Amino acid sequence: MAVTNEVQLKVENIHMAFGGVQALLGVSFEVKKGEIFSIIGPNGAGKTVLLNCINGLYTPQKGKVSFEGEDISRLKPYQRAQWGISRTFQKLELFRGATVLDNIRLGRHIHMKSGLLSCSLYFGKTAREEIEHRDFIEREIIDLLEIEHIRHKVVGMLPYGLQKRVELARALALNPKVILLDEPLAGLNLEEVEDMARFILDINEEERWQTTCVLVEHDMGVVMDISHRVMALNFGEKIAEGTPPEVQKNPNVIKAYLGEAEDLYVTRR
Amino acid sequence: MSYRPCGVYHQFYRQDHAWWQTKFVWGKMIFLGIFIFVLFPKFAGMYLISVANVVGYTILSAMGVQLLIGYCGQITLGHAAFLAMGAYTCTLLMLQLHIPYPIAMIFGGVVGGIWSVLFGLPSARVKGFYLIMTTMAAQFLTVEFFITQYVSQIGGRGVAFSIPPGTVKIGPWMIRNDLDVYYLMAILVVIFTFIMANLGRSKIGRAWIAIRDNDIAAETMGVNIVYYKLLAFFVAGFFGGIAGAFWVTSLAAVSPEHFHFGWSLWLVGVILIGGVGNIHGVIFGSLFMTLIPEGLKFFIFILTQNPFFVNIMPFLPLLLEKFLFVKEAAFGLAIVLFLIYEPNGLSYRWWQIKNYFNLWPFSY
Repeated sequence: MAVTNEVQLKVENIHMAFGGVQALLGVSFEVKKGEIFSIIGPNGAGKTVLLNCINGLYTPQKGKVSFEGEDISRLKPYQRAQWGISRTFQKLELFRGATVLDNIRLGRHIHMKSGLLSCSLYFGKTAREEIEHRDFIEREIIDLLEIEHIRHKVVGMLPYGLQKRVELARALALNPKVILLDEPLAGLNLEEVEDMARFILDINEEERWQTTCVLVEHDMGVVMDISHRVMALNFGEKIAEGTPPEVQKNPNVIKAYLGEAEDLYVTRR
Repeated sequence: MSYRPCGVYHQFYRQDHAWWQTKFVWGKMIFLGIFIFVLFPKFAGMYLISVANVVGYTILSAMGVQLLIGYCGQITLGHAAFLAMGAYTCTLLMLQLHIPYPIAMIFGGVVGGIWSVLFGLPSARVKGFYLIMTTMAAQFLTVEFFITQYVSQIGGRGVAFSIPPGTVKIGPWMIRNDLDVYYLMAILVVIFTFIMANLGRSKIGRAWIAIRDNDIAAETMGVNIVYYKLLAFFVAGFFGGIAGAFWVTSLAAVSPEHFHFGWSLWLVGVILIGGVGNIHGVIFGSLFMTLIPEGLKFFIFILTQNPFFVNIMPFLPLLLEKFLFVKEAAFGLAIVLFLIYEPNGLSYRWWQIKNYFNLWPFSY
């Protein structure tokens, strides 16, 4: 989808500290509807903390997160999910005892309407609803992510690359407006990286999904190829923002990644 | 995950969502129904019927524990408290207000559920060991303090509430002997299993399993974890209350010592042995935990009859006399052995056997 000018997610002046450690120091940025916005930075720069703040797992000490013009800073994570913010995790956070299908079905949780009585009878409405959602999952998600062959397998027994894909499937099942991807490519081999990059482009560009993606990633090749805009963090501060070529050339970013020229010289001696 | 036999293909999602997917399974289940409702009560003697009632009561009580521990991951060690609330509510409503038994039973369930939610509230904040402590508090506060000190005084009947014969009746059906209790038990067990299985395969059960496996991920996927934890406590307490209200039928008198702490532990043992997170686990566990002590008792009894064995082992008559201790020892031994050799419980073994036959003659 073409990137629009409409701001979908806006983060203003976020401060987050754990005890004496300042993880984020006044980070602000805007994500426009329909873009792939990447956040890069060295280890410990605060990228995951930033995602957790957007997602509501952490409550920042200062700052505001707004989504489609509404302030969502006070909402709980499950309420933000209902607003249409979904995410994947850096370390897999799947429901390991359940099957792939059940994992993805849980992503449909907020779209299901049956209550306690109806669920315990599993009659009429609930049975119909289950079939409708099954149909959606099979047609839209399992087909898109090519995981037909493992749909009845228990997640904990699958290889890592497939588990990553199942996690993306679960996040997509929410039918999100914004999807936060925390290192979706970490630990994958080249082929899986290419697949995953293609899936990210698919969910961003396809008519059906057109989901805004916020991507945290270390694989610079992929980030620079697929992102519309990139932001660089270092020690909790924003050091650069712009299109991929701009960020690549930015001296602050080069410094953050490679260190000062003298330092480099000293450490290589 | 379970395998279907070769050659079974589904064309509709409806078929894939069904419990019993082949004609063979349907036949098996119909036979099981006939066995439970017709053959067993017809041919079994009174002793077997009474043992079956204990098995049924254990299934009904352990169902709530299985829901909390096995499905939602909230460890509870005070389930007898909710049984007691159900039993006492039901008895009081029948004796004091002369409310018909079925309505009193449902009230018992609701009160058990609300009571359970009350002690489940800390689960919003605490996990693991700390939650075990709060549920143990439920046991001691409810049974040892609230019921013994206050509820038992209602009506001036002394410590135990004796139930006059003929009080317990459902419409025209008066529950007088063990056979009537057996039928009531069988109906309740079928209903409980039905509800539990349906919850497990729909939205609510999936949310519980998500909370058990990974509560952070569940919350980011839009599950209101506090609400669903409390819902789990409510449903478990409701099951417990109904189970307690059911057990009133086979007790001559309701008194606090029927709902002691040992029973709460026993129920946890039942699901550990049967298999955690599985409805089969409740049923297998209850069968095992009731039939093994009964079999042991029978065995010791046979040995005591024979003077030869009594000569070799002079402590045998004492064992029979103090059988309670043997039972407790067997309980402890069974749990230890299961945790070491079969940590997934009997239901896992059942699943393996079933899959072996479904895949036979191949191993994959």
